[in-house]
Amino acid sequence: MQTPNLLLVYTTFFVALLCQLFPWTGQGVIFRPDFMLVVLLYWLLRAPHLCHIGTAWVVGILVDLATGSLLGQHALAFTLTAYIALSFQRRLVLFTVIQITFYVLSLLFFARLVILILKLFAGNDAPSWHYFWPVITGILLWQVLRIAFGSLARPKSSRSE
Amino acid sequence: MLKGVHQKLEPQQTPAFFVRGASPFSRMVFFCALSIVIMAADSQLNYLSQIRQTLYGALHPIERIANIPSELFRDTSKYFSVHNELVQENYMLKQQAFEQKVKLQRLNTLQAENEHLRSLLGGDIPIHPFAILGDISHTGRDPFRNVVIVNRGSQHNIQAGQAVVDSKGVIGQVTRVYPFSCEVTLITDKNLSIPIQVERNQLRAIAFGQGGNTLDIPYLPTNVDIKIGDKLVTSGIDGIYPAGLAVATVTKIEQDPESQFAKIISTPIAQVSHHLQLLILELPESKEPEAKPLEPDSEEVLEKNENKKDKKRTKPRANP
Repeated sequence: MQTPNLLLVYTTFFVALLCQLFPWTGQGVIFRPDFMLVVLLYWLLRAPHLCHIGTAWVVGILVDLATGSLLGQHALAFTLTAYIALSFQRRLVLFTVIQITFYVLSLLFFARLVILILKLFAGNDAPSWHYFWPVITGILLWQVLRIAFGSLARPKSSRSE
Repeated sequence: MLKGVHQKLEPQQTPAFFVRGASPFSRMVFFCALSIVIMAADSQLNYLSQIRQTLYGALHPIERIANIPSELFRDTSKYFSVHNELVQENYMLKQQAFEQKVKLQRLNTLQAENEHLRSLLGGDIPIHPFAILGDISHTGRDPFRNVVIVNRGSQHNIQAGQAVVDSKGVIGQVTRVYPFSCEVTLITDKNLSIPIQVERNQLRAIAFGQGGNTLDIPYLPTNVDIKIGDKLVTSGIDGIYPAGLAVATVTKIEQDPESQFAKIISTPIAQVSHHLQLLILELPESKEPEAKPLEPDSEEVLEKNENKKDKKRTKPRANP
């Protein structure tokens, strides 16, 4: 478990942006996780002194640019999600790995829901339930991050499971 | 008692031990307001398109890096393509070129004849637009919109509004231009409509994208003369799409007795998902000054134009 520093945070954001900009085609588009959002949530919960709501907004604007959607849609959704994530961040040390996973799952779902509402307001059609696949793949990506950069749960509590 | 307990707990919940700047709530409110303002500015006013262009231009190098793996894969698979396949493809292409050359010979004479006849009638000689070949770099990342991103941008003199076609028919229209790429909205997108004509009987209408892979032709009476299998081509009255390009074939007609209008569904002929190359047609500039003063009552004007054309058509017939 290495201590996170600013360089590591921004490197992971850069890699996430690369994945986001990767030319996804066919089935990949449906299952593609929200790379930026998952990485953002990880650092928000893991190292809130390096990554805060302002970072969430900037990341959202980047995603807006990359997807070519209305500027500010993802920024708003990410800001709201980041706020909710941070408001419970200090209690996470008491949670087990599974509890944290469900917490992140609900956050990812919330972000998707906000984007959906904003898109519907902007006059887009309602999508099919495939729209929520990235929540599932996002949680898989979360597990990858957890293994790579360390769990949020306190080591003691994971031992006592 | 309980009140007292809560008061004791409060300082624990918000310790001022670490300096964390503004509280998360005020930050959240500030950034939410900022994004709402930006959203409003982007959707209602067009101030932000320039900013978006430059920012996206800055993202371009990163996008190129992201594209490297798939390009490498494509190139290596090309490199290892079997000799036999190449020979076969070469043979087919040669045959195709030969057939097309024969057609081309006829085209030149037909074109000359057509221009001659048009000049006899006193009509405009249509300008054959230049086209720029582009590659589809990826289908859009936004699942709500039917767009493809093409690797030609303002550096290659692409403008928003240009029509995009492939070898079979119309694909769509350029809607956003970035320095090194542009966004082509497909004709099936909900926000795009295209003036069409039924090839069989020259009936004019406007087709609207439906969001999926179909086009809808609304506001036609239930007794309209359109059959399943009819080919729809561009009518060319908008001044963007040259006339006569294939757009779609009618696949489904629903006649609801309660509705005044027939529900006509068609599927596009161009196959965006099947190949990577497409042509971006140049905007016809010479027609714009003529069209501008006629804008206010476009329907009347169109009718007048038709009458004129009809007169023009009938006059020479009457003369001999």
